[in-house]
Amino acid sequence: MILDKYPAVLQAVPGGKILLTTTDDFINLGRKYSIWPLTFGLACCAIEMMAAYASRFDFDRLGVIPRPSPRQADLMIIAGTFVKKMAAPVREIYHQMPEPRFVIAMGSCANCGGPFHDAYSVVKGVDKVIPVDVYIPGCPPRPEALIYGVMELQKKIMRMKLAKGGGATLQAEKGSRDPAGGA
Amino acid sequence: MTREKVLSDILAQVPGASAAAAPVKDYPTVRLSQPSDLPTAARLLKDELGFDYLEMVTAVDWLGPTKTEGFLPAVTPIPFAAKAPALPVTPAAGPDIAYRPVLDLLWSFGNLKTHLKVFLRLEVSREKPEVPSLTGLFPAADWQERETFDLFGVRFSGHPNLTKILTPDFLQGHPLLKDYVHQPDEFDAD
Amino acid sequence: MSINPMNSTPIRSETSGLKTDTLFLNMGPQHPSTHGVLRLGLTISGEVIVEAMPDIGYLHRGVEKLLETRTYAQGVVLADRLDYCSAMSNDLAFCLSVEKLLGAQVPKRAQVLRVIMAELNRIASHLIFFGTYGIDIGAFTPFLYAFREREMVLDLFEMCCGARLTYNYIRPGGVASDINADWIARCREFLDFFKPRLDEYDTLLSFNPIFLVRTQTVGIITPKTAVAWGLSGPNLRASGVNYDVRQAEPYCGYEQYDFTVALGKTGSCWDRYFCRVVEMRQSVRIVEQALSRLASGEIMAKLPKVLRLPAGEAYSHIEASRGDLGVYIVSDGGLAPYRLHFRAPCFINLAILQEILVGKKVADVIAVLGSLDIVLGEVDR
Repeated sequence: MILDKYPAVLQAVPGGKILLTTTDDFINLGRKYSIWPLTFGLACCAIEMMAAYASRFDFDRLGVIPRPSPRQADLMIIAGTFVKKMAAPVREIYHQMPEPRFVIAMGSCANCGGPFHDAYSVVKGVDKVIPVDVYIPGCPPRPEALIYGVMELQKKIMRMKLAKGGGATLQAEKGSRDPAGGA
Repeated sequence: MTREKVLSDILAQVPGASAAAAPVKDYPTVRLSQPSDLPTAARLLKDELGFDYLEMVTAVDWLGPTKTEGFLPAVTPIPFAAKAPALPVTPAAGPDIAYRPVLDLLWSFGNLKTHLKVFLRLEVSREKPEVPSLTGLFPAADWQERETFDLFGVRFSGHPNLTKILTPDFLQGHPLLKDYVHQPDEFDAD
Repeated sequence: MSINPMNSTPIRSETSGLKTDTLFLNMGPQHPSTHGVLRLGLTISGEVIVEAMPDIGYLHRGVEKLLETRTYAQGVVLADRLDYCSAMSNDLAFCLSVEKLLGAQVPKRAQVLRVIMAELNRIASHLIFFGTYGIDIGAFTPFLYAFREREMVLDLFEMCCGARLTYNYIRPGGVASDINADWIARCREFLDFFKPRLDEYDTLLSFNPIFLVRTQTVGIITPKTAVAWGLSGPNLRASGVNYDVRQAEPYCGYEQYDFTVALGKTGSCWDRYFCRVVEMRQSVRIVEQALSRLASGEIMAKLPKVLRLPAGEAYSHIEASRGDLGVYIVSDGGLAPYRLHFRAPCFINLAILQEILVGKKVADVIAVLGSLDIVLGEVDR
């Protein structure tokens, strides 16, 4: 029964037919369990991302269903080395996504450049170009780590407040987003 | 056909060719004397000797050790040590290695029937590196020559589309040259 | 004038006064079927491709420059991340060239271990191709099957070296760690499980009528074109050219193993696909033979901890999952390579796209591109 699982979110009005909750919680609950990421891989981490979608790890059970178009996606997983030539397309794809949109930086390369940090063509962290919600360390992170990253994102989504402008999208142009999800 | 036979055939038929003093280990290596010999040698290899498989086009810059300016670190076996161990980081050039301001171009041709391989080398100046393109004979040269142009700045005359292939448009210079120093761009700022 | 919808020449009807124009279609770098960050600039006339221009470099990490500032032990780490679907092969090619220049002898057991790992990795890599090519053509289910089996291979890798994708297992001089009896038992278990699965794949995808129609007459590469463009690996062999480095220039004792090289007949997309399926079978055979000849012994040659190679140049190449992977190494006697060049098979295989796509329909682009099985990490390096 859903009421047992979300005692803090939903409250039944005595009589049993009506549930009360706040708008924030209601919307966040919907968002939390239908995170649709963009099918978009850059490098090695993308293979682990594919493994997370596939048989053993089965991302679908978290409501994570890959979408091929940025117009239908909520989440962008930057899986792999982020090079300077790719910066402009990524920024464009990011702005094509509807709000609220989230970004997971998967792997050392997307976090800080990783083993290629001293290369002439690598951006040292995707947060120099677009804002990031969750950073996953590892080279490459295991699919379990990616699943954990999505769970952390779900926690973050639950803290979003409509009054503060939609929460995690907050209009930082780059860098790491406020962990409180609000202003 | 043996390695020695291939080598002697090329040396006999290409003017100015000689066996390379420092060959690629275990492979016949021919040094050409001037760029205009390259098409002759390549055509000979392809039509007469059956080397119709262009494997590799690349170059070596013999200027000296890589400049570790910009953000390239110096070579160290223990990168995370608080104090770098006292090892001679830059190599002492041995007797076989002579640093000199030239670009050493390298082509590798394969014969898929006899499974032999032969390397051609050619030195060009660093100031104005220019050699004839092999795209007419071997389509495989197309992208590899573009890559060599992009990373070393070697101009392949006669190439139909000699443009950057790997590096972004705004990158200045040719990164694999030994004196390349990276110029920070908008993505390198904090 | 009747217009044949299947006619592949552009409509030019000067008499009717209709004007037609070509259209530029941009595909990528974010596209579900480009297997990474490849961008294709297609000029199309109606449904027919007039010009195809692949644009690469969206994953150019400057590995060759970085390797000039890394010691040989550190270099393996970067080599791992080139063709990340078959990292063992990259390690192997890198280490073979280092050992060749060094003149080091690798112990027998290490050589057999290298063969086992490289072939298991070939299976894992071809499974990714099998799964994703199915998705490209429109069959989602094979992906789930392929990744189920792939996870088993990755479990084996994890048991012996602790990593799932980038192993750093094959090192200059030998391999990093030994395997035990438990590993061998699990490996045999996997091989026994895997062999019948290959028959399953054939019924699931290989001989599926829709799949056949989409691939069998599409993207034909003649042997002459394939050699001229320098294709290698399954892409070359699908055109009927018998060239496999494992037999042409054997390394790691491949000459002692009994296996056949899969050859295609027509060079179509289906032939390229099926060559890989047959190669998986052959890899199973090689691993079985290797397991049976695994004798006890050293796994690492006695080499100094910090390698210094004698001045000189060496080239060595192997049959990686995607083709003839060569490593050209120049040393000036220092701690790091003076220059290191990868002859990346994917980079060279991809160049042919600009020739074979011309005259094809837009719908066939994905079928042709997928059948070349590129990994962008290796294309861009």
